[in-house]
Amino acid sequence: MGIAKRLVLGFAAVCLAIPLAGCWDNTDINHRVLPVVMGVSKKEGVFRVFLQIPEPGMNRLRIRIVSETGNTITHAVDKISTNMEEHVDLLHVKIILLDKNYAREGVNDSITDFMRAREISSKALVTICDEELPVFFANVKRAMEQRGSTLYDFFEKNAGWNPQIALTRVWQVYRSIHSYTRDVAIPIVRSGKSLMIEHRGSAVIKNGRMVGRLNGDETLLFNAFSGESTQGRIEVMKSASVLIVSNTLHNRIGLRGRTPYMTSVLKLQVVLLETRGNPTNEVIMNELDELLTKRFMTMFQKIQSKQADILGIGQFYRMIIPRERLANWREDYYPRLEMNLRVQTNIQNTGFLNSP
Amino acid sequence: MGKSDKSLHIVLLYCLTQLGVIYFVYPEDIIASAEEGHWLPVVLGIFVNLIVTAAYMKGLRYFPKQDLIGILTGVGKTAAVLFLLPITVYLFMVNLITVRAFAEIITIVFLSNTPLWSIIALLLAISGLIAMNGAFSIMRTGVLLGLLFLPLMAFVIFMSFQNADWRYVFPLLDDNLGFLTHKSYLESLFAFATSFLFLGFVQPEFKYSPKKVLLGIVALIPFYLLAVYIPLLTFGRATASTFKFPFVMVVSTIQINWLMFDRVTMFLLLSLISFTMLFIALLIWQTGVIVGRTIPKVKMSYIVTALSVVTFIGCVMVRNWEDIEELFLCNAVLRLYVWLIVPFAVYLLGLREKRRSGYGNR
Repeated sequence: MGIAKRLVLGFAAVCLAIPLAGCWDNTDINHRVLPVVMGVSKKEGVFRVFLQIPEPGMNRLRIRIVSETGNTITHAVDKISTNMEEHVDLLHVKIILLDKNYAREGVNDSITDFMRAREISSKALVTICDEELPVFFANVKRAMEQRGSTLYDFFEKNAGWNPQIALTRVWQVYRSIHSYTRDVAIPIVRSGKSLMIEHRGSAVIKNGRMVGRLNGDETLLFNAFSGESTQGRIEVMKSASVLIVSNTLHNRIGLRGRTPYMTSVLKLQVVLLETRGNPTNEVIMNELDELLTKRFMTMFQKIQSKQADILGIGQFYRMIIPRERLANWREDYYPRLEMNLRVQTNIQNTGFLNSP
Repeated sequence: MGKSDKSLHIVLLYCLTQLGVIYFVYPEDIIASAEEGHWLPVVLGIFVNLIVTAAYMKGLRYFPKQDLIGILTGVGKTAAVLFLLPITVYLFMVNLITVRAFAEIITIVFLSNTPLWSIIALLLAISGLIAMNGAFSIMRTGVLLGLLFLPLMAFVIFMSFQNADWRYVFPLLDDNLGFLTHKSYLESLFAFATSFLFLGFVQPEFKYSPKKVLLGIVALIPFYLLAVYIPLLTFGRATASTFKFPFVMVVSTIQINWLMFDRVTMFLLLSLISFTMLFIALLIWQTGVIVGRTIPKVKMSYIVTALSVVTFIGCVMVRNWEDIEELFLCNAVLRLYVWLIVPFAVYLLGLREKRRSGYGNR
């Protein structure tokens, strides 16, 4: 190969780097806005989309809230993008906040669209807002600008998350729309008075529609059932409060005719935090067992009456009930399920003090 | 074995091209083809593939001094046309479909603003360049890409178990074999029907041990199963069947707090796309070799360039995903022909050759 030919080929190879860089229609970072939270509400068929955009200032965080209406979510986002001097990029939306009424109506379409388009990550967290979205965003903006923190931290497992909060992502809600045996719980929040936001339990979502709600304590048990309750604090009314360090669940399942039954033992390892008076470990353990068992059964009856299987119990029956019939799990089997859960706590230690 | 024994290169190339293909459309087809017990269709496909590839290599063994084209033209004009023409058309169509489909996948998953033609051009330019330098350059590129991207892929696959719910494995057995006649199942065989052909093109220049190739196919079994089962375990059949690329979907749900990259999908896609480029290079090279044999005066690099340009024009003319699927379906007959008839034909020709040379010795 001659020198000239080599040079030409080499030049061509270098030129390839230009299209390879993928800078087509690239919008520069300071010409785009990256909203972190997106709020969606729907009234009389019209969507209203809120975007919370952090704007890094000189030495403090500024928050901008923009909102727009449209026939679809994309339409509304598009309007915002048109009216702003920057390009709106939804790639970094971490939290999707749904209006409570819209959630009751059913969010199937929106969730399906989030999954279809690649813009919004399927990992974004879904939450439900317990108050009017404009009020919520205004309050949160005020709180956030004082503090300089972001809403996102509230939900992050490595930041402000608590086991009392159900953690559910877009793809899980999508799965609940289609799955025969799995529903989800979504946290409910509102703006707080002293704190930025206030957690108000969780919503029970069945097939993409909100059908009921659980309070924080019940959500903790729900998380314990899914194996995520570690570090959860439980207040025992009469004598003590404890911290859960680990939990295990043992299930025995079966089917009598068309009636499924399930016997579960939820074992909690706890550490003593506070006591009132001088209760013995025995007393605390018994009290805890009783309280939690009762609390769990109340919660279970609540979700069972709504035919929402947020615990994913139907999953256990995959090997017993044939698939064609499992498709009607929520209607035919789940309402008849005989659930028998027993909580067994074990006080792992009592801290630096001896137990009385 | 001598210095020209390139078993490792060839097995690696085979495996990489397979990996590049099976993580996109393959899971969707398998999931659509069966309601439950998805391992059966997967394993059955691999089993047939093993038999086909073994027969093919066995047949090739009888002609140690010829490649596939030599073998087929040696039989006679009619046989050559009967076999080589479909193979050429098939390879060309597969090439067109692969380039176009991957360009579309790239736009769907990450480059939504980039015009399609530029992605197609890039895919073809790079693959064509590799193909132009011949089989050995493809193999060496394979080793490099394998070293670079296989660890990344292993990481992503390992991480994709994050949201798996093992209870979705059940039920393990479907009581009917309905998948056998399902359209999607026949389409899923695409995954096997192309990569094996090149084994006939690299000999006699490079030697390889058939046993190692078969071992390579066996070693790939877990990857096929993972491609299908990870989406099933994460989403369940009912949800997974709504996705176009179930595996890519699973990867986009992975959440790793300690990793500074938000979307792991990119790692997987880049690895797979590089493997696919290798696959495309291989396709262009094979087509080029066949065409080159009919017009021996023209240099290989011109043929490859011409083929790439024709493929490019073809790709740009395809308008949408439905067209791709239609092309894919049109190709089905050819695919079954190439996958099921050609290897056994080579095997029978080999037997005949053996008998003939046996007589000669006597």
